[in-house]
Amino acid sequence: MHIKKSVGKLAKRENITGHLFILPTMIGFLVFIIGPMITAIVLSFFYWDMFTPPNFIGLDNYKTLFKDPHVFTVFKNTLIFVFGVVTLNVGGGLLIALALNRRIHAVFRYILRTTYFFPMITSVTAIALVWNLLLNTDLGIVNYYLGKIGIPRINWLLSSRQAKVSVILIEVWKNIGFYMIVCLAGLQNIPRQLYEAAEIDGAGGLQRFLYITFPLLTPTIFFLVIIGLINAFQIFDMPFVLTRGGPGDATRTVVMYIYETGFRFFNMGYAATVSLLLFVLIAALTLIQFRVSKGWVFYR
Amino acid sequence: MVPDTLKKRKLLPFSRKVLLFIILSLGVIIMVTPFVWMLSTSFGTVETAFSLPPRWLPDLSNLNAYKQLLKSIPFLRYMWNSFKIASIITLGQLFTCSTAAYAFARIRFKGSNVLFLLLLSSMMIPLQVTIVPLFILMRRLKLYDTHASLILPVLISAFGVFLLRQFFLTIPKELEEAARIDGAGHLTIYSRIILPLSGPALSALAILAFLYFWNELFRPLIFLSSLENFTIPVGLVMLRGQYDIGSPTRLMAAVTMAVIPVLIVFLFAQRYIIEGITLTGIK
Repeated sequence: MHIKKSVGKLAKRENITGHLFILPTMIGFLVFIIGPMITAIVLSFFYWDMFTPPNFIGLDNYKTLFKDPHVFTVFKNTLIFVFGVVTLNVGGGLLIALALNRRIHAVFRYILRTTYFFPMITSVTAIALVWNLLLNTDLGIVNYYLGKIGIPRINWLLSSRQAKVSVILIEVWKNIGFYMIVCLAGLQNIPRQLYEAAEIDGAGGLQRFLYITFPLLTPTIFFLVIIGLINAFQIFDMPFVLTRGGPGDATRTVVMYIYETGFRFFNMGYAATVSLLLFVLIAALTLIQFRVSKGWVFYR
Repeated sequence: MVPDTLKKRKLLPFSRKVLLFIILSLGVIIMVTPFVWMLSTSFGTVETAFSLPPRWLPDLSNLNAYKQLLKSIPFLRYMWNSFKIASIITLGQLFTCSTAAYAFARIRFKGSNVLFLLLLSSMMIPLQVTIVPLFILMRRLKLYDTHASLILPVLISAFGVFLLRQFFLTIPKELEEAARIDGAGHLTIYSRIILPLSGPALSALAILAFLYFWNELFRPLIFLSSLENFTIPVGLVMLRGQYDIGSPTRLMAAVTMAVIPVLIVFLFAQRYIIEGITLTGIK
């Protein structure tokens, strides 16, 4: 009886201690994530410009959402960016990692790793300002040097099609180092003996990649795809600084639209509604990825 | 037998090796050139900024662009603001994330699984969903246009809790058992055993948080309005808005001042930064 009682007391104390340890996080979580999330849902049923009292308008924001041609454009642009950025980053990062994982000189490897990785930790704003000048059609050095090798001038930032490509390319230029580093770590985790055994069995380079490297790297690739998706859906800084969303609406993203709706035109309810659509899209795609992953991701 | 086949692997066809070398070197040039151009332009004059071919060698004695920059906007102050905000957030996250992660890794309490899952799934909530309500909240709290409005909401991090918890779980429990027998409580085990053993994970979180908030543009753009409160990225956006292509030297001077501190830290702490980032990629 006595022991039972003290065990119960101990468990109770353990319980209280646990809650105390998570208290700071939980307070922040409730006040700054869950609370605002619920508020955003409530706001989506109101018209509110911050200066006059909020006005209940039922489902009007949602109706507008599906009629608003801007919404279609910005979601389309964002999806193009997501697709381009994630594919090129994961694919390119993997290729560079495979190249670096070969027997190359240590100094060369150090130079490659450092230079490919460095842009990742600099600010998008700074990078976008530099590239904005580099890509200037008449005065930029990119067109100048391309001209030297006979490539005609490209309207990097001024044609709607090319501006999208430019945003994607610079996003990739900036972040590919991260994908490379994570892939490299994944590659180095693959046991050597597997390759040695495969070689004894006479497997060629392509076979080694298809039957050893790739399957054992799928968890890494899956992780990168998920991270890449969630980040790419929130692209804001790059087009905001590089092209200001232009030309026209060509590079305007969902987050830029939320920013403008909420903080330039002070249509708080509608901004919240658009942001909820973004959330639903991200959540749905992430969950689908997790579902689909069971078919192709191989956990050791 | 094995050495034979391995030898074969070492001898890649020469032409392929050269091709690989050329492609990788071309990549290095593409990665480095923008930074070199940024630097040389910032030390140039407005007249030479757009000369083609560009002047690659910076004239380090020409500090005009920097002088102009510091005269026109308080850029050093922006650097201090960014540093202060990023540091406080980083310290805060190290504290809140490590205590919560410890609880989720080591303490049995009611609802721990549910709460952890809830926290994890909140990583899918994009910042933009909470930004409008946060903006309203900050105005209500009279915190609009203060650095506290940027700091308070991100003193916690679901990602940080996850990262640290995964690391704490890899620390063998035997280490704590002796201490536990001696009557040590959770606070002692957390501060004397778990934290000292978690250097790599803690530094990974610190590096990622610091860099993220040092470079962040979206929230400062919305929450700050007074010139003297700006952070580096907001200052850069303002400079561009005001002068656009007009004064590329001054703009590049500002960009250089934003990039150089990161470059210096990176060159010294590269190993830790790369290890830290790798750590987040391996579950």
